[in-house]
Amino acid sequence: MNFFEKMKGHTQSPPRVGSVEILWSWLGSFMGIAAVGLIHFKLLEQTSLMMIIGSFGASAVLVYGAIRSPLAQPRNLIGGHMLSAVIGVAAHQYLGALPWLAAAVAVATAIALMHATKTLHPPGGATALIAVIGGESVHRLGYLYVLMPTGLGAIVLMIVALLVNNLSPHRRYPEFW
Amino acid sequence: MTASNLRECAPVEISDKEVMAAMRAMHGYIDITPADFKAVYRVAYALAKERMMNALKAADLMSSPVQVVGAGADLITAATLLADQGISGAPVTDAAGRIVGVISEKDFLRKMGAGQNESFMRVIALCLRNKGCVATAMVNRTAGDIMSTPPITAPADITIGAISALLMEKNINRLPIVDADGKPIGIVTRTDLVNSLCMLG
Repeated sequence: MNFFEKMKGHTQSPPRVGSVEILWSWLGSFMGIAAVGLIHFKLLEQTSLMMIIGSFGASAVLVYGAIRSPLAQPRNLIGGHMLSAVIGVAAHQYLGALPWLAAAVAVATAIALMHATKTLHPPGGATALIAVIGGESVHRLGYLYVLMPTGLGAIVLMIVALLVNNLSPHRRYPEFW
Repeated sequence: MTASNLRECAPVEISDKEVMAAMRAMHGYIDITPADFKAVYRVAYALAKERMMNALKAADLMSSPVQVVGAGADLITAATLLADQGISGAPVTDAAGRIVGVISEKDFLRKMGAGQNESFMRVIALCLRNKGCVATAMVNRTAGDIMSTPPITAPADITIGAISALLMEKNINRLPIVDADGKPIGIVTRTDLVNSLCMLG
């Protein structure tokens, strides 16, 4: 098939989900983000520590909105975020003088590593990127970023997912560990 | 349906509409496109079919021991034997017990004037037209005279898939299973095959 023919597309999107599924997705992500949000804004208010990063919004889509996806499973959520955080911090520390390069290397390498370890999780790419472009408050954490907010925040999201996703008789989580 | 176009038989082709309907019935968001689902299905189905075709061997299905007819046996004896055993055909063996041919309803019908078509109805039609039956002409012949030869045979480790192909290709209804010396040790008929495929399914 020629290069441009491949871009034409050859199939369709899966069907739209029902309203009940939409409701459960809303409820799950509200509770998950509220949990990390409360810890971040209340518990850690006086500290320089973080419990919330942008990539958690992306994780919420998967672990509350597409719970059957292989990309939304606990292994991917925790493994993907933490591995990507390590890569991101390393990229900043070694290539930080050239932010565009550090950013590109961080994201690309995070994806490659997630693929290789079967922990592919799209928000991992964001976690790696934030380690480079997240500004002083992130840079100051150094490798602590991997544990907090990344690792612990992901665990909080996972606990909420385990509880909320299994409430509906039609839903179950996780598919695998 | 000939042997060649049966082999081209594709697995049950599921349509996009059916895949979409199935995904809709699953409630959650299923993270795969209909095309990818069908691609995986097609390969998995072919692998499963392959596994089933190789799972059973002749030894698992064959009737054993097998009723044989001596090549020197006269046709009255041969026909009576087949009738008494309730079978429509049998391997024909020489004095040493080695298979030399197969005798079946088809061979009798051919000699009764059924010609290429070898059907019972053809013989009835001829019978009615000639106002008589033509089997009596064969009364002095032996099994060896009318049998189909050379016989199509197979060893006991032949797979169910290969048996199926053989019956189809050669247009036969029974496959004698022989040992290394060419002596019949069992027989697999079309009916045995159908019954076993039903069990697998």
